[in-house]
Amino acid sequence: MITLELIQYIRDARYIGLSDAEIVQQLERAGWASILMETGLRALIEPSVREPIVLETHALTKTYESNTNALQGVSLAIRKGTSVAIIGKSGSGKSTLMHILATLDRPTSGELVVDGKPTSLLSQVEIDALRNKKFGFVFQQFFLNGRDTCLENVTLPLAIMGISKKDRNERGLEMLKAVGLEEKAQQKAVELSGGEKQRLCIGRALITQPEVIFADEPTGNLDTENSSNVMGILLDLQKSRGITLILVTHDPDLAKLCDRTITIKDGVIV
Amino acid sequence: MKFSDKLKISQRNLFRAKLRTLLTVGAVFIGVFAISLTNGLGSGIREYVDRQLGNLGAKDVMLIQAKQAFSNPVSNDVLEYDPDRQLGQFNISFLGQDDINKVALVAGVKNVIPLYDAHLEYIRRNDAKFQATGSQYVQGFNIEMSAGETLKPGQVYAITLPARYVTPFGFSSAQDAIGKELIVGYKDTADRLIERSLVIVGVQERSLVGNIDSSISEEFAREIYRAQSIGGVERYPALFIRFDNSYTTSQQENLKKLFEDQKYSAMTLEDRVGTVGTVINTILIVLNVFGAIALLAATFGIVNTLFMAVNERTSEIGLMKALGANRRTIFTIFSLEAASIGFWGSALGIGSSIIVGLIGNRVATNTFLKDFVGFQLLAFPILPFLGIFAGGVALALIAGALPSLKASRLDPIRALRYE
Repeated sequence: MITLELIQYIRDARYIGLSDAEIVQQLERAGWASILMETGLRALIEPSVREPIVLETHALTKTYESNTNALQGVSLAIRKGTSVAIIGKSGSGKSTLMHILATLDRPTSGELVVDGKPTSLLSQVEIDALRNKKFGFVFQQFFLNGRDTCLENVTLPLAIMGISKKDRNERGLEMLKAVGLEEKAQQKAVELSGGEKQRLCIGRALITQPEVIFADEPTGNLDTENSSNVMGILLDLQKSRGITLILVTHDPDLAKLCDRTITIKDGVIV
Repeated sequence: MKFSDKLKISQRNLFRAKLRTLLTVGAVFIGVFAISLTNGLGSGIREYVDRQLGNLGAKDVMLIQAKQAFSNPVSNDVLEYDPDRQLGQFNISFLGQDDINKVALVAGVKNVIPLYDAHLEYIRRNDAKFQATGSQYVQGFNIEMSAGETLKPGQVYAITLPARYVTPFGFSSAQDAIGKELIVGYKDTADRLIERSLVIVGVQERSLVGNIDSSISEEFAREIYRAQSIGGVERYPALFIRFDNSYTTSQQENLKKLFEDQKYSAMTLEDRVGTVGTVINTILIVLNVFGAIALLAATFGIVNTLFMAVNERTSEIGLMKALGANRRTIFTIFSLEAASIGFWGSALGIGSSIIVGLIGNRVATNTFLKDFVGFQLLAFPILPFLGIFAGGVALALIAGALPSLKASRLDPIRALRYE
């Protein structure tokens, strides 16, 4: 009864970082429960070299002062180099989850582990430094400083890191080249088109050579053509540089482009 | 983030809100300008007064007066009769020969010089005849002279004239007047006119502090006074006493106490200068308070400006925090903005007050202060001005603390939602 299909599924699921518990959960939902009962999981899987886990959460909850439970016990693990879509309707808690994963917010209870280190042990200054060094961000609303040049915008994370201007500009020009904006280095960001703006943001997110990029509805303000262009560049760079991508979206088509999808509903993973 | 980058961001932000920055800098400017101009004026006057101290007295001379016993006109008090108290016009208590004897016995007093209340009628030379006042010269008073010297002991029929008499008397210069003779007239108790011929030995510099009368010798003052006093009872408005010129301040204070124990009031040179100083200081304090109020208003301006800047740049702050800038970085950027406003306001304020001071000095010395040799209307000593400068910047920093704190505490998620 054990099919090759099932083995392949488990392998893939493990590869992209699903925990055993998650795999069991998904298999049960798919109607494979009886097989699991008969065989046990361990026998199904051959030992394989797997990428280390970058982000890991244990029973995250988030309760707001208004007593709404945005998250009600979310546990997940994300492996290096994978692309993960967090999908859910508005109000589902997907944004809250992203904020906590990105250390922009702290959970009410539970733990976020980054590179094997529990973040609850870190001071705010250490968390800020961690975010600066290991994370990159792409936002729907871009958040560019319109009156600054593209070069200044793309190198902002390096400035925050305390890198000298000379090194900053060197790396900035390289990065602008990678997102196809090298011609616009000295132009003000406000003069760019929407697609160009988001490419600039991708450059800004990647310039510190982060481990994880968080993209919050990165195509939300773009037309179809620019959307696919921006997503292409984002996934390209993410794959070629071995960076983990967390894509928050409500769009299932966009989620399909990722290795793995985590669906959030009412504060839990479904 | 490097300090230079924080500074650059803060300067860029100030520059981008040009008008607002300019207005806030202007507010600081007005306060600092007022305060530094006041201080410049104060320093100028004080320097001048210090130089003119000699007009008021000598270091080894004390002024002794009777303790004034005024009946308070508001209350209905009536003074008890006291045979020792001699009240003159305006209820001024006078001193007599018994007081001279008493004062002379106080340990430390070398000699006592009564101040003779002498009234002159006129001074004339040829046809020029002027109303005259003369004050008794006390040896050791260091009156600034434009020509000649102060009266020397033994020069009885000699006079030093204020500079303003030089031209009316037809002298070509102050130097020209030296050695020339003048006639001084006074009346005795029988209304008889007596004239004396005096030699001009010095011309006094024009001064704002004392020194407005001609100086005559003690002997001549006594002669006039005796001719004018009825019944030979001598009364003096004040006595000068000379003490050892090596006395320290505390020894002088002890001496003063001895007099005060005997119901006299005693004033050293410093006390008398202090009185002038107190008046000047009071005026300067009032002016400084105006400056301080302006500066206080300016700090509110800074607070307001920075709050506006924080609100305007909420999403920018949120972005920087999301990208890993910590609280201190954000706080520093906004504090630097505040400090820069203070820096430019103070620098411009002090700079302008110095320029105004230099122009003012030139105008003043060419016009209404023409005759006051060595009087700089405004002086700009370095230390107090560094203090004002540092104060301006510090005040701006303090004013900027609250908005900077607000910026540093912004929650990045909320800040980024803010559009």
